[in-house]
Amino acid sequence: MNTPHIIPLNVIQLVYAYALILISLALARWQQIGHEKQLLWSSIRMLFQLIAVGYLLHLVFAINSPLPVMLMLLAMAGFSLQVAGSRIKKRMPNFYRVVGSSIIIGCGGVTFYFCLVVIGYSPWFDPRYLIPLAGMIFGNAMNGASLAAERLSSEMHERREEIECALSLGATSRQSAAEAIRNAYSAALRPTINTMAATGIVALPGMMTGQILSGTEPIIAVRYQIAILCAITGAVAVTSFLIVQQGYRHFFTDAHQLKSE
Amino acid sequence: MHQQQKSGTDPYVEFIDVGVTKPSPAGTSMVILDRISFTARQGEITGIIGASGSGKSTLIRLCNRLDDPSAGTIELNGQNIATIDPLLLRRKIAMVLQKPFMFEGTLLENLQRPFMFRKLAPPSAGSLEITRVLDLVQLPAEMLDRDARSLSGGEQQRVNLARALINHPEVLLLDEPTSALDRPSTAHLASTLCNICQSEHLAIIVVTHDLYLAEHIVNHLIYLEEGRIVEQGVGPQMLAKPQTTALSNFLAKPEKSSS
Repeated sequence: MNTPHIIPLNVIQLVYAYALILISLALARWQQIGHEKQLLWSSIRMLFQLIAVGYLLHLVFAINSPLPVMLMLLAMAGFSLQVAGSRIKKRMPNFYRVVGSSIIIGCGGVTFYFCLVVIGYSPWFDPRYLIPLAGMIFGNAMNGASLAAERLSSEMHERREEIECALSLGATSRQSAAEAIRNAYSAALRPTINTMAATGIVALPGMMTGQILSGTEPIIAVRYQIAILCAITGAVAVTSFLIVQQGYRHFFTDAHQLKSE
Repeated sequence: MHQQQKSGTDPYVEFIDVGVTKPSPAGTSMVILDRISFTARQGEITGIIGASGSGKSTLIRLCNRLDDPSAGTIELNGQNIATIDPLLLRRKIAMVLQKPFMFEGTLLENLQRPFMFRKLAPPSAGSLEITRVLDLVQLPAEMLDRDARSLSGGEQQRVNLARALINHPEVLLLDEPTSALDRPSTAHLASTLCNICQSEHLAIIVVTHDLYLAEHIVNHLIYLEEGRIVEQGVGPQMLAKPQTTALSNFLAKPEKSSS
């Protein structure tokens, strides 16, 4: 079978695609749903951000050396942290230190394990693999991270009585917060677990769709998709685990006292 | 019901010039407790009364180090509690919080919790430890299998008390123990506390806005106002003949709500 070549999109074709946004705008205005401004602004942001990233990736691919690739990964980690932080209304103590180190260790570790051991391409920094894979892993782990951090804060707040009751009975900080830790961890993992169960039935995942469009055999695309879903689950699990395990400590003093809010 | 207490028992919990200040929203510091000194003795019930915001709940939380004071020292039989491992301290100084909190599970499982926290094998339903505390708070053994959260407010308060006593504490702290109870349950709890104080030779410190407890079971009474001890003395005498206008005003119009 010939490898079919993907049809390159030209500017006219993009304008046609953009017509769909205009239809959405028209519908919103006609039915007075509102949010037209947001819709327009978001679509313009999307356009410029993607074009910028496209050129940046083009440049990084052309240079093909470890430094720009690593810089890009660091920037991704930074943005994940910033987005995770901005989503949360009530941040836990030492939020950036806890979540930042967890994202770097959790996602970084899983990304390199996945690229070097599971796929095993060379050179290790090949941007064609490392950047998109890291992007998917960081993006998903960021969702898990904000869920874990937010849930931990709200659990610690709602369970103050329970925690102080346990402390008064001689429990350690960890024992008194066990339920809060468990709930935060499970809340962070739940969307990933649900996604895994629904994949292939409810929706075809983006990476697989992309690979099929660019001519990859569906069987190979499916294998990649299975592998990346495992990596995402691992990254979400490790990152959230690190967040709740480090995070709960910051709600307590060394003398097993719950800090005042 | 009131226990006549001989004086001259060993000092047990001693507050020496204890103060608590907290940063206020305006940026200055706010005095919550100011130079508090008193002694709670074994075999005695020390009552702390005062209006909402007088600092009585803050005070009791200092005893088992749920909070630390900003000034002064608190001693447990001569030893500064800041030098005692908080986990060990909280086994010696047990606390019953205002709202009875029941962990998920049966009454028995609630009584077993403190053992699990210490990584000890939990005692079984018929064991000496369990029957001892059930007797102390007068709960029937048939209730052990009941879901703790389905018990009535009065029963939950008893479980709370039994759970606090299971570690054989030397001091028992109670924060507004009657706030969720009706009058008969309050009277029942009062007599239980009196009996426990004597039989277990405990020092009991109770924070309350309930003058019934202050009148009937408290040996040593302390009246707090705006973080200061305004008056302290022998419970019934102090209530019958307040020495300060502050206390007589408070007694004329005691607040229903707690701090």
